Amino acid sequence: MKFDRRQALTWPSMIMLFLFALLPLVIMLVTSFQSDTTGSFTLENYERFFSNPTYLKLTGKTIVMSLAVTAVSLLIAYPLAYIMAKKLRGMRNIILVLVIIPFFTNQLVRVYSWLIFLQDGGIFNNFLSLFGLFEDGLGLLYTQGAVIIGLTHAFFPYMVVTIYMSLERMDDAMLEASRSLGASKFTTFRRVIFPLSMPGVISGIMIVFVPALGTFVEPRILGGTDGTVIGTVIEDQFFEIAAWNFGAAIAFLLLALVLISMTALNMAGKRWETE
Amino acid sequence: MKKQRHILSRIFIILVILFLYVPIFVLMLLGFNESRYNSLPFKFTTQWYEEMIANEALLSAAKNSLLLALVTGIICTVLATLFILGQRYLSRRTSGLFNSIVMMPMSIPWLIMGLSILLMIRSMDFTKNMAFVLAGHVIISLPYALLVLRARMSSLDKSLEEMSASLGAGPLTTFRRVTLPAIAPAMVAGGFLAFMISFDNFAISYFLIPNGVTTLPIEIQTSIKFGFTPEINAISTVIIVFSLVILLIVGIIMRSNLKDMLGGKK
Repeated sequence: MKFDRRQALTWPSMIMLFLFALLPLVIMLVTSFQSDTTGSFTLENYERFFSNPTYLKLTGKTIVMSLAVTAVSLLIAYPLAYIMAKKLRGMRNIILVLVIIPFFTNQLVRVYSWLIFLQDGGIFNNFLSLFGLFEDGLGLLYTQGAVIIGLTHAFFPYMVVTIYMSLERMDDAMLEASRSLGASKFTTFRRVIFPLSMPGVISGIMIVFVPALGTFVEPRILGGTDGTVIGTVIEDQFFEIAAWNFGAAIAFLLLALVLISMTALNMAGKRWETE
Repeated sequence: MKKQRHILSRIFIILVILFLYVPIFVLMLLGFNESRYNSLPFKFTTQWYEEMIANEALLSAAKNSLLLALVTGIICTVLATLFILGQRYLSRRTSGLFNSIVMMPMSIPWLIMGLSILLMIRSMDFTKNMAFVLAGHVIISLPYALLVLRARMSSLDKSLEEMSASLGAGPLTTFRRVTLPAIAPAMVAGGFLAFMISFDNFAISYFLIPNGVTTLPIEIQTSIKFGFTPEINAISTVIIVFSLVILLIVGIIMRSNLKDMLGGKK
């Protein structure tokens, strides 16, 4: 193949990515196979992870939490995207912008806002006690529920976008055809609209589930002692215990979990598109 | 019946918007409230803003955040522009491979990106310094700058450049007179977006920042951990307003390409 000199324009970016993304990941992998004490090759970091039920349970808890965030996000995002694409006319762009703005506000600011909003005796609690509810305190902060609320708030907006895009692209003539052939509204939704929106749903799931697996800020701040997940365990290995090699091993397992989920979702997406 | 559905739709939309905005709004409001513990009753004060302005640590964190984001924005604009121009001359397969490498930091948790760079620093016996923080910020912000540029590039007619070349313009002239004017707005918008990703970033800075240096997100996290006052509400409000202004600029510049931009995130 002929070499076009203009290809070299891509190299500065590639060099940056090589030096500060690919190389560090390789080093992380190597580190995870080194002994904390002697530095020689070992599998002990991985053995330690898989032989301790606590870590396995935490992995399970992280996955369940991410699934819960994804499910709540879907429950919010799908109806919203559907209403925007099929029921609204002039307002849809404004709502799309309103939904997307918080996605670009500072993560720490967002977490902090939930911290003061959900605290016992906070504004939300005050509001509810007007109706005689939760007068002894909400008891929501520092639970997994608070973490799920915070993460949903952080991640669902982009899911709205992906689902909305797939619904909006849909040819309305197809829906009319379905209806004129005698299908009820519900059948049309189940057999036509929903399957056609699946690519958007799947990329939406990817955009919520995958980052949720790797969070540590929201669980730590909103979950308190109840908020221990893989991300916070990794953080602790680096900042509290200085167990670098073990930390690298857990981080690598998290990366593997992320990559597996992405591949699975990609495959699911492809299947829907060919069908 | 139909009307009723319509009302239900509206209520749903309003609830979602409330969910998105009420906590942020409450935070902003309580920044003007006297209570140290973010609780009612509401008594107006600007005390927390006065304390914020007098807080040296916050000011220095703000300066660091701004500087870091500014340099990240400029570097990302240059890298993304070069990349997107060069990418067109790659073979299809190489182009796809390069693209997935550059976009990778968007799907890998930043926790992992940050700590892998930290491990690299340690294993090579370097000390933490701001150059590594900057490098980390650049690689995670670059995909966003690229998204914006690509949205614009896809609507740029390649035949224009070919025409310019066939009329005898050299590659540099073609770039300066044809390509650059067409993509300049997207370069600016992409730079601003990269600026914002960096300005907001916590995870990368958290792992790589040298001792004694802070950024705004790190300062907020430290306060949350060790006791905070509504001063944090004040600085948060400033950050929110600042981010909105930047978003507004990006939005205005990219108005016609907004949809390509949103749909392009993969």
